[in-house]
Amino acid sequence: MRRELGMAVAVAVICAFLWYSNHHFFGQYNVLDLLRTIGMLGILAIGSSLVIITGGIDLSVGAIVCLTGVLIAKLSSPSTGGLHYPIWVGISVALLVALLIGLFQGLLITRLGLQPFIVTLGGLMWIRGIAEVIINGRTISFGSSPFNNLANYGLLSIGHEAIFSYPFLGFIAAVLLGGYLLHMTVFGRYLFAIGGNRDAAYYSGLPVKRVELGAYIISALTAGISGIFYASFIQDAGPTVGHGYELYAIAAAVIGGVSLRGGEGTIVGVIIGTSMMEVINNGITMFQWHYHNSKGHLRTFHLGTHWQDFITGAVILLAVIFDQLTHFLNRRKRLKAQAAKAA
Amino acid sequence: MRGITKRYPGVVALSDVSLDVRRGEVLAVMGENGAGKSTLMKILSGAVMPDAGVIEVDGKPVVLNSITDATALGIALVHQELMLAGNLDIAANIFLGAEESRFGMLDKAAMHRDSGKWLDRVGLRISTRTLAGTLTAGQMQMVEIAKALSHNARILILDEPTSSLSHSESEKLFDIIGELKAQGVSIIYISHRMEEVQRLADSVSVLRDGKNVGHMVRAEATKEKIVSMMVGRELNNWYPPRRSFKGNTIALKVENLQVVGTRSPVSFDLWQGEILGFAGLVGAGRTELVETIFGITPPIAGHVELGDKRFTPTSPRVAIKRGIYLAPEDRKRNGLVLGMSVTKNISLPDIGNYLPRWMLRSGTELRVAQRQIDQLKIKTPTPRQLVGMLSGGTQQKVVLGKWLAMKPKVLILDEPTRGVDVGAKAEIYRQIRELADAGISIIFVSSEMEEILGMADRVVIMRDRKIAGIYPRDQVSQEIIAARMIGE
Repeated sequence: MRRELGMAVAVAVICAFLWYSNHHFFGQYNVLDLLRTIGMLGILAIGSSLVIITGGIDLSVGAIVCLTGVLIAKLSSPSTGGLHYPIWVGISVALLVALLIGLFQGLLITRLGLQPFIVTLGGLMWIRGIAEVIINGRTISFGSSPFNNLANYGLLSIGHEAIFSYPFLGFIAAVLLGGYLLHMTVFGRYLFAIGGNRDAAYYSGLPVKRVELGAYIISALTAGISGIFYASFIQDAGPTVGHGYELYAIAAAVIGGVSLRGGEGTIVGVIIGTSMMEVINNGITMFQWHYHNSKGHLRTFHLGTHWQDFITGAVILLAVIFDQLTHFLNRRKRLKAQAAKAA
Repeated sequence: MRGITKRYPGVVALSDVSLDVRRGEVLAVMGENGAGKSTLMKILSGAVMPDAGVIEVDGKPVVLNSITDATALGIALVHQELMLAGNLDIAANIFLGAEESRFGMLDKAAMHRDSGKWLDRVGLRISTRTLAGTLTAGQMQMVEIAKALSHNARILILDEPTSSLSHSESEKLFDIIGELKAQGVSIIYISHRMEEVQRLADSVSVLRDGKNVGHMVRAEATKEKIVSMMVGRELNNWYPPRRSFKGNTIALKVENLQVVGTRSPVSFDLWQGEILGFAGLVGAGRTELVETIFGITPPIAGHVELGDKRFTPTSPRVAIKRGIYLAPEDRKRNGLVLGMSVTKNISLPDIGNYLPRWMLRSGTELRVAQRQIDQLKIKTPTPRQLVGMLSGGTQQKVVLGKWLAMKPKVLILDEPTRGVDVGAKAEIYRQIRELADAGISIIFVSSEMEEILGMADRVVIMRDRKIAGIYPRDQVSQEIIAARMIGE
């Protein structure tokens, strides 16, 4: 829990700094927008975390986000290129496809004994490939479909803005469900045991393959759900949607204390890690600095969005470096305390 | 070594320990697990720095900041867990980190030539091009020693060198130790095995709780004396008193079970409440047989009958459902999740059966674990302690605990006392006997003949993956077992 606490403090400090630079950071519009993006990435990160806790990895979730959006657009969009089916048809088919992809990849990994990395790396490509083929490499707009409301509406509105947007509500549901699965069920315990020591889990009679399969299915399903929200949020479906999201999800999990070695992680950590990722992302556009130029005119400095990759990467590295350093320091302090006590 | 002191969080690993080794002497260092032997050896080999004390080599004080420093002074440690790179050949392993080169390129010819010389010196007659991964444990040990000698080792530390060696491999090792001794190499020999120490050592130092408790020359070093020093009390009876066992019902019938990689099927019966000892050399197929019964690798043919029900053990799940449990040979790798707590390890195989199924009850879990902790006297500060932080004997008890919480019918114990200190051993023996008295049938696999004779009601001797004989306890002796194991 210590690591989670440290990261939470770091997120709070960054928020305070951003608010200091730009008071709009805590403005109603920005906060609600931030919560929505945290929700969409968070759903993805929770699914990825389950897989990482078993000691595996799922690189295909970004592609599933893309394919889900494309399927819904193709089947249910009222505009050019869409097939005009009711929206629930598109959503159901998209979720079913996500589930089948999870099942397929999970079976390859558990029954055929293939490496999760290579199976889902293949997935990252062929799944997006199918999406591109379906839409011929073009972009389909959702036009005036009510589907657009999904990501932008919600419960308890102030003016035009919902306090609890549907993506954020979805995230809360995913957190509750994920927290329950991970920390209160036998399934969750098995995930940790398998990630901690797969052989010992097998020798203890755990249904190792079934549990792992479950993790990959859940990961693909959360990607599907997240994909629905993303599609509704950007109001169209194109071949580049969700590009690299698998890595954001993994980064969010790792920043939140989920160990890539497996067997470690908490749902609270995933929430904090996701918040960190999205606050940074949002901060790059919100950050500003007023200064007087040589002629004495008031100017404002902004970071462009082209800074995003650099800053995000730096933050991920800083997070793990800082974590390791505190780890070293704590150990040193403990040793010293022991020595003092013994002497 | 003079007045060596080392503190770790929570413990003083060594306090004011001194040790003398003369040139060409074999010094045995004995002590229970956790007595400080390993720490002392790590300090001597430069892997760990002491908090206080001095080390003198040839009468001159030295500072060992790193393993490199120690190597330069001719001190080499051969670890208990062998550390060779399996994907490299013998020559590459011997010269690992000290490769010979010409014009910046590896001089493989020279390395093969020179490593061949070192192999000769340890009496290993195989090609230096053999991949280390294909060697037997005994051969690896020899390569490790050859590697140490190639660094001009004058002080050789052997940490439990025979723990994974067969009888004949151990014999060979003893011969080589004799030769090295004659060549003036000093040897520090760490072992739990009394017979070896009595046979090899010129003198014996005993550690207990990080302190020197005794030093004696071979003539004085009787088994009783050493053991009483190690545990600090007279231990005249390691094993529970003999019992006369007469089986009434067959608990487990193994019929024509053919293990993967063997030609001949195996059959035997296990009576209810019996302790059936499995003796044999390393590689005789004992672990493979019991792992097949437990379903780790399903058999090619044959089946197992438990009670009246016949089944083929296709996975551990199948075996566990019937009540057959295995405490594996390598408990760290196969028996425990080291990063999980004692409680979670104990509940692991059974937690799927706790009610209600959809909600973990930490209260129930803790109660079950606490019962095992009390019953088995598992020495853990709290039930939430991570298993990886516990000593070998305590870990073994956690493995036992997780199965005993589930009411076993047949309990397979594969080398249950390997790496377990003397005090904990006696405790584990007593508990095994209690389980058998309570009607649990036990398959007891061990490489220590004495242990088999001390515990088993009947003895199965395995050789070349076949059963070479089954004897009631009172018709068998060390000599008979040894003879059958090697095939007379």
